[in-house]
Amino acid sequence: MPSRSAGRLLHGLGLLAVFAVTVFPTYWMVSSSFKTQSDLLASPPVWLFTPTLANYADVFADQKVVNAVVNSLIVAVFSTGLSVLLGTPAAFALARYDFRGKSDLWFWFISNRFVSPIVLALPIYILARNLGLLDTHLVLILVYITFILPIVIWIATDQFRSIPKELEEAARLEGASQFAIFWRIYLPLGLPGIAVSAIFGFIFSWNELLYALVLTRRDVQTAPVVATSFMSGYELPWGKIMATGTVIVLPVTIFALLVSRHMVRGLTMGATK
Amino acid sequence: MSYLRLERIEKRFGPVSIIRGVDIAAEKGEFVVFVGPSGCGKSTLLRMIAGLEEVSGGDVYIDGARVTQTEPAKRQVSMVFQSYALFPHMSVRENIAFGLKMAKVPRAEIDRQVAEAARILQMEPLLDRRPRQLSGGQRQRVAIGRAIVRHPKLFLFDEPLSNLDAELRAQMRVEIARLHRELGVTMVYVTHDQVEAMTLADRIVVLRGGVVEQIGAPQDLYDRPANTFVAGFIGSPKMNFLKGRLESADAAGVTVGHPALAAPLRVARHGTAAALVPGAEVTLGLRPEHLALEGGGARIGLTADLSESLGGSTLIHGQTRTGETVSLQVPGRRMLGKGETFSVGFDPAQAYLFDADGRAL
Ligand SMILES: Nc1ncnc2c1ncn2[C@@H]1O[C@H](COP(=O)(O)OP(=O)(O)O)[C@@H](O)[C@H]1O
Ligand SMILES: [Mg+2]
Repeated sequence: MPSRSAGRLLHGLGLLAVFAVTVFPTYWMVSSSFKTQSDLLASPPVWLFTPTLANYADVFADQKVVNAVVNSLIVAVFSTGLSVLLGTPAAFALARYDFRGKSDLWFWFISNRFVSPIVLALPIYILARNLGLLDTHLVLILVYITFILPIVIWIATDQFRSIPKELEEAARLEGASQFAIFWRIYLPLGLPGIAVSAIFGFIFSWNELLYALVLTRRDVQTAPVVATSFMSGYELPWGKIMATGTVIVLPVTIFALLVSRHMVRGLTMGATK
Repeated sequence: MSYLRLERIEKRFGPVSIIRGVDIAAEKGEFVVFVGPSGCGKSTLLRMIAGLEEVSGGDVYIDGARVTQTEPAKRQVSMVFQSYALFPHMSVRENIAFGLKMAKVPRAEIDRQVAEAARILQMEPLLDRRPRQLSGGQRQRVAIGRAIVRHPKLFLFDEPLSNLDAELRAQMRVEIARLHRELGVTMVYVTHDQVEAMTLADRIVVLRGGVVEQIGAPQDLYDRPANTFVAGFIGSPKMNFLKGRLESADAAGVTVGHPALAAPLRVARHGTAAALVPGAEVTLGLRPEHLALEGGGARIGLTADLSESLGGSTLIHGQTRTGETVSLQVPGRRMLGKGETFSVGFDPAQAYLFDADGRAL
């Protein structure tokens, strides 16, 4: 049994390491957001402190932060929503039909992602400027769709492919149109995959910084852009930065929790056999 | 004109020819069974009737109309898939109602139809369950319910019982037969199980390698198989085949010799095979249930191999002097030791004869 308990020890240490890397920073951010500036700067760091909501009051009093959260929400909801709206029918076609150029199209979706985003930043900036789209929600939504749409198509196609072909054939015999087959069979059965891709898309657009920095100025700055904007000057407002961070993380977490209900696999079980 | 007609149907998948010129006709209300070994093209043929698979050649007619190019939904056929193909995210009720809903049938009428189907199939208590909450037999019922509720012109079944255990299979077989009798509808049923074919069919279509070997009523196929393939496929246990020689032939019958036969065998002719030359090779076919340890007009000498007791009867396997295997089924318990010699008798009228190419004589 010694090897077994050694294994357990290693297992425990591994978990601790993962915990330290992933959960601790979040804990530190959230707890710091409730500290006063003097507690924050205390050395050694204080673990027990009297919590304060002052930082949050500060954040929500700052119109810039509130606007940024609203902007981020608008951009994330529309870029994710439109990607799902456009991506799922595309995935249905890719999963179920053979057509010329199918594999090329398929490859194009991945190869797109080979290009480093920074390479395209300048051309897109110039394009947006010439079209008069700088500092609008639309330009961010459009740019984010080019990232999210392939994710949706990829995951949804894979999900749709796993749906037994006989279900479609049975529906066809029962008189269902192509749209009805998509809407009543594929969409509900593909929901787990679609939900996963929607979460990825939402998180991506919520956290995206590069294009948001390049393409926005004052009116539609998103949350990550505003968070970075505090990091200037002589005395960093740590409490406010941490509170802003918490406010930024919260919506994605809630969204992910809401959608994860649908991620439960095994919905297709019982279709056959 | 027949209710369902397949005319010179062909199917190729790329360069591979799967169905090679099939002609079948079925009358209204008939129960037709396609039977044949796995991979012979039964499902493909059925799917072409449904319109799920395009034909490469030939035509399909249903109720007098050519439907070769008609899309599946417009053919008014229902299909029960081997995997049942129930929609897992819908309740039993929604599954059954799906086709009616697609046809925009009024709500009240849908409810009435679903209730009727549920009554016929005795599954009223299951209506609000999901498919995954049902047993195999219950899923099977739902699949049938979904098929009958639309009152199609044709019911297609693709090996519907092959996922069930033996007991349930026998039970559902009876149920499908009852359904056919009650609804009086035309059914086309695919199976590789000759017992299902024999018990359910008004007419059996025996397929092999994409061609029809024989079409006929179950008893006709049993009594007058067109060739050794059909003879071996229909009937269980399988027919015994012995390679013999033709000694003489005239209009009424032939005389066959075989080393294991005590005396040359005189057999009446059924088929219409061409010239019979004395000395030609022929195959003698004997059904295990037609052989007996005592009595019979003709006798074969055997050496016992193995005896299997089936409870009420015994299956005895033996070998002739020429090394050919002969099995027989006898009533009671008659276990013979390995190596024991014995002889079996049979009525020459129950013997089958085939020429060197396997065609019935
Ligand atoms: N879509 C297809 N593409 C290529 N070959 C196929 C396809 N469907 C069936 N086949 C082939 O056709 C033959 C007959 O298949 P099938 O009709 O399913 O046989 P059965 O139902 O009698 O077992 C098989 O050899 C199978 O491999
Ligand atoms: Mg098959």
